[in-house]
Amino acid sequence: MQSEDEDADAGQESDGEQVDEFPEIDTRSDSEEEEEEDVDVEEGDEDDEEDEDEEDEDESEDEFSDASIHPFPKAKTVVSGITGQPKRVYPPIEPDYDSDSSTEDIPNRVGNVPMHWYDDLPHIGYNINGKKVLRPARGDELDKFLKTVEDPETWTSAFDEKAQMDKPLTTDELDLIRRLQENENPDAGYNPYEPTVEWFTGKGKEEIMPLSAAPEPKRRWVPSKWEKQKVMKIVRAIRQGRIIPNKPKTASDKPQFFNIWAEEPSNQPPPLPAPKPRLPTHAESYNPPEEYLPTEEEKKSWEETDREDREREYLPQKFPALRLVPAYNQFIQERFQRQLDLYLAPRVTRTKLQIDPNSLVPKLPSPSSLKPFPVYKSLEVIHDKGRTRSVGISPDGTWAASGDENGVVSVWEVVVGKVVKSWKFKGKVGAVEWCPRIDVCFLVVATEEQLHFLTPPNLPTSVLVATQAALAPAQLPPAPTTPSPVKWQSISAAASTSDSPILTINLPSNSGMPKQVAWHRRGDYLATVASGEGQGGVWIHQISRRHSQAPFKKVKGAVQFVLFHPTKPHFFVATQRYVRIYNLAEQKLLKTLQPGTRWISSMDVHPLGDHLIVGGYDRKLCWFDLELSDKPYKILRYHSRAIRSLHFHPTYPLFASSSDDGSIQIFHARVYNDLMTDPLIVPLKILRGHQVREGLGVLQVKWVSKQPWLVSAGADGHVAVWCS
Amino acid sequence: MPPQRMTSLPHEDWVSSISCQEPGLFLTGSYDGNIRLFDYSQTLLQTIPVQSAAITSVAYVKKTNKDTQLVATASHDLTAKLTEVSISPSDPSPSRVLASLHLHTGPLTAISTNAAGSHLLTSSTDELIGLWDTSIPDYDEVPPDDASSERKKRRKLDDSQESRAKRKAPISVLKSHTARVSKAVFTKDNTNAVSAGFDSTVRTWDVENGVCTNTITAPAKPFLDIALPVTGQTILAASTDRTVSQYDLRAASSSAATPSIASLPHPATPSCVAASPVGSGSSEHQLVTGAYDGSVRLWDLRSEKSAVTSFKVWEGRAGGKKILSIDWAFGMVGIGGEGGVEVWRIGEGDRLQSS
Repeated sequence: MQSEDEDADAGQESDGEQVDEFPEIDTRSDSEEEEEEDVDVEEGDEDDEEDEDEEDEDESEDEFSDASIHPFPKAKTVVSGITGQPKRVYPPIEPDYDSDSSTEDIPNRVGNVPMHWYDDLPHIGYNINGKKVLRPARGDELDKFLKTVEDPETWTSAFDEKAQMDKPLTTDELDLIRRLQENENPDAGYNPYEPTVEWFTGKGKEEIMPLSAAPEPKRRWVPSKWEKQKVMKIVRAIRQGRIIPNKPKTASDKPQFFNIWAEEPSNQPPPLPAPKPRLPTHAESYNPPEEYLPTEEEKKSWEETDREDREREYLPQKFPALRLVPAYNQFIQERFQRQLDLYLAPRVTRTKLQIDPNSLVPKLPSPSSLKPFPVYKSLEVIHDKGRTRSVGISPDGTWAASGDENGVVSVWEVVVGKVVKSWKFKGKVGAVEWCPRIDVCFLVVATEEQLHFLTPPNLPTSVLVATQAALAPAQLPPAPTTPSPVKWQSISAAASTSDSPILTINLPSNSGMPKQVAWHRRGDYLATVASGEGQGGVWIHQISRRHSQAPFKKVKGAVQFVLFHPTKPHFFVATQRYVRIYNLAEQKLLKTLQPGTRWISSMDVHPLGDHLIVGGYDRKLCWFDLELSDKPYKILRYHSRAIRSLHFHPTYPLFASSSDDGSIQIFHARVYNDLMTDPLIVPLKILRGHQVREGLGVLQVKWVSKQPWLVSAGADGHVAVWCS
Repeated sequence: MPPQRMTSLPHEDWVSSISCQEPGLFLTGSYDGNIRLFDYSQTLLQTIPVQSAAITSVAYVKKTNKDTQLVATASHDLTAKLTEVSISPSDPSPSRVLASLHLHTGPLTAISTNAAGSHLLTSSTDELIGLWDTSIPDYDEVPPDDASSERKKRRKLDDSQESRAKRKAPISVLKSHTARVSKAVFTKDNTNAVSAGFDSTVRTWDVENGVCTNTITAPAKPFLDIALPVTGQTILAASTDRTVSQYDLRAASSSAATPSIASLPHPATPSCVAASPVGSGSSEHQLVTGAYDGSVRLWDLRSEKSAVTSFKVWEGRAGGKKILSIDWAFGMVGIGGEGGVEVWRIGEGDRLQSS
C-alpha cells in the first residue's frame, strides 16, 4: 500500500513538473485523471485478489463488493479524433443483471431493524419474495478455533449481523481501518501536499517599480507637533490631578466573591395579571332564554340610543342552531376595546393607603359638647324705618339699646323685647354703646358729629346720682390749656331727665358720623372713629376730665376700627390693611399686624387680651395670637359676603361674626393659659334669619354679658335675640 | 273637648301679667303701668295707674273687705306696690295704693303671695328675693330717697293724690342667686319658697330663716318662669333653651346637675307656665305653657313627646305675638302678651257656671 502512495506522490511530483509547462487548468484535470487511473489500477488488483482469495463465496457477494467499489461507470479520457481535444468516454451500459442493483438478490430484506428481534426465531428475516431466510448454521467455539487455525482469512473477517455470519473484509475496508488506526486521513485519494499554484508571484510576475517615485516626505520622520500638544495636555492634566489614573487594584490578587443569597428575596408582588375580560352572560348566548330577548320597544330604543349611551353593546338574539349564527360583526370593535382596556390597565399595584378620610379632619369636639351657645331666635325688636346699624348691651345683660338710621334709639329688655324707652335724634345713629361701668349706667349714642350720653329710665337712686355726677358734675374740671375743637355740653344734674341727653360732645365739624365707639374697660375713656376726614377721625374722650384729644397727628390710611386692650394700656388701630398696636402710656408703636385682608371691617380682642380677631370686607376672618406673630394664626373664611361685625363673649368661650350674607356664625374659641397649647376654634352654628337689604346683612352683633345669648342688628331693621 | 276661645280683652300696651284667680274677674298688669280689672263679660271695670313704669307682675293678695281686694304689683320702677282695689261692679270706689315695697335696685320680675295672702315674695334682676308681709305699716319704714327732684315731685304728687302710700321694707332678703331671679313662689305649705333664675338654678328656701335649703342646678337653662303643680312635690320651670322641665324639689342638692323628671320641648321660647288649678276638673298632671311664637300648649306630664293640644292666640294680628303671661283657674286660661289678653276655656266648661 505504501508503495502505491509513493507511486501516487511520484506521479503528483511529475504532474507538478508538468504544470510548469502546461496551462493551469489542464494540469488539474490531468492530475485527477492520473489519480483516477491509479485508483483504477489498484482496484483492479484488489478485485483480482479477492477473486482469487474467496472462491467459495457466491457471486452475489462479489457483485455487491464490486458495486460498492465502483458505484459509477468509469469514464475514459480519449483525444477526440474530430476536435483534437481530450474528452471523456463512458463505457456503454450493459443491460445485464450485474448492471442493475434492483435485481440483486439481497437475501434478507428486513431492513435496518435490530436483529436481536430474531434471536429466538429460526429465521433471520425475509427475502424479497416474503420467504423466510433461515438462520445459517453457526459453528460452536471449537469450529471457531479451528477456523482461526485453518483459515488464514479469519482475522480479516467480521460478523455481519444481517446475514448472521462472518464475512471477510475487503481490502478497501481493511485499508480504511488501517488509516483510522494511524490517524491518517481516511480518504485514500486525499493528497495533503498539493503543489503550490503561483497565481500572482513567481517568475515573470514581479512588480518592476513602486507606485510613486516621489521622495519620502519629511513629516514621515519628524515627530508630530499636534500629537505632542495633545499628549502634553493630557500630561498636564495628570500632573494637576484633573485626570486620575485608574486606581491600583489592591485586592486584585484575591478573587472577589459575591454572596448572591445574601440579598433578601424581593418582596415586590409579581406583576399584575391583565384584567380578565368580562364573562359572557345568558344574554350573550346564541340561544338565550326567552326572558333575555328584547321586546320590540327595547330593540327600537337600543337602536336609537348612541353607542356611548347604550346600556350594553349587543342585542340578545336567538338562533335555533349554532351553525346558523352569523359571523360576529363586532369582532374588530371588541378586540379594539379590549386592547384599549389592556393599554389602560394598571401595570403596578398601587398600595392603597388605608386612611379613613375622617381621620384627616382635625379632631374637633362636637358642637353639642360645647353647649351652651345660641341656637335659635328667641325674639325680635323691629325698627320700622331704617336699618339698625348698632346695638349695645348693658353690662348687667338686662337691657339692650339699638339705634337705626332714622335716628331712633330704643332701650328694651333683652328677655322680653319690650321697648321701654326710645329717643329720636336728627340724622343717623352710627353707634350705640353702653358704658361698661357697673356703678353708673348710661349709654353713648353717636350721631352726626355728636356723641349723646343718655341715662335709661328707672335707675336706682344711687346709680342715678353717680351717673349724673359722672356726666354732669357740679364742679366742672378745669378747662384744658389748649382749646380743643371738641365741645362738651351737659345739662345740670337737677334738670336732667332720661328723656334728653345729659351730656353731648360736639365733635369738630366735617368729622362725619362716628361709626364706632369703643370704651375702655374702666369706663372712663372712650374712643370714637369718625368716617369723615381730618386727623384720621380718631378721638379719645375722657369722661372724668371732660377732655377730648386726638391721639394721632397723622395716620396712614383711613382708620376703620379702634379698640382698647382689656388689661394693658394698649390701643389697637385698624386701618384698611393693617392693625397697629400702640402703647398709650409710652406713646409708641408696638407692633403692626398684617392680616392680609384688603379692607378691614371690624375686629375684637379676646377678654384675656392675648388674641385678636380681625374681619374684613373680603370675607376673611383672621385670628391673631398677639404673642406669636404679626401674621394670622388662623384664617377662617366661612362667610360668603363681607364680614360686618365681630364680638367676643366676655365670659363664655364664644365669639360671633356677622356678615352681609345675612348670617351670623358662632364659634367656640377656647384660649389656654398654657402658651404651648394653640387656641381651639370650633365653628358651632350658623344663625340665619336676617334679611339682606340692599346688599347689607347683619350689621352688628353683641353678646349678652352674663348669658350665652347674642343680639344682632340687621339692615332689615330687625334686632334679634338669639338664645341657647 | 278642645280649647275654646272665649273672650278677647284688648289693651293698648303689652300685657305683662294676668291673674284669673278671683272668680268673675280678670286682673291684668300692663307695660303702661296700669292694672286693669275686667269682668267675665269683657267689660273694663277699672283702670288703675299704680306704677310709674312698666308692671311686670300682678297678684291678688287677699280680700280686705267684702268688695275690696288687695293687689300686689311689681314693676320696672324698682318697687312693688300693694293696692286696694274695689271689685264690686256696682260700687267702684276709688282704688288706693296702700304701700310701696322698697328693696330692689333692679327691675322687679315677679311678685307672688302665699295662699293665705299674708306674705309676699318679690324677685328682681338684682339677684335678690324679698320677703314681705302684707300688713300696711303706719309710717314709712324706708326713708324717702332724696335723690332727684323728679322723684320728689312724683312722690309729692302721689302723696297728694293717693294719700299715705307707705314705704315698706322687707321682712328678710333671700340672697343666693347669682343672676336675675325670674320668679319666687311659696309652696303649698307656706313655709318654703321656691325660686328660679337666670343662673340656671331652682332654689328652695326656708322662708322663716331666710336660708336656701336646696338647690337644683340645671346646666345652661336660664329659667324664665316657674309654676307649682297641685301636688307640690315637683316644680315646673320654663327656660330659654325652649324646654319646660319638671324637677323634683326633694332631689338632693349634692350633684352638680340635677336631672329633670320631664322635659317638654317647645319650638319657641316658653315664657310662662301655669299648672292645672286645684280642684278643677282637669288632671293634676296637666299644665299650659305660653311661648313667644304665640302658641299656648296644653301638656300632660305623662307624655313628654308632644303637647296634648295647642292653639294660637291673636290670630290675624300683625307683628309680634309673644305671650308673656298665662294663668289658669276655674277652667279658664288667661293669656296676656303682646296682643293684649285672650281668654280660652280648657277642660270641663261646667266649672264656669258653677262659679
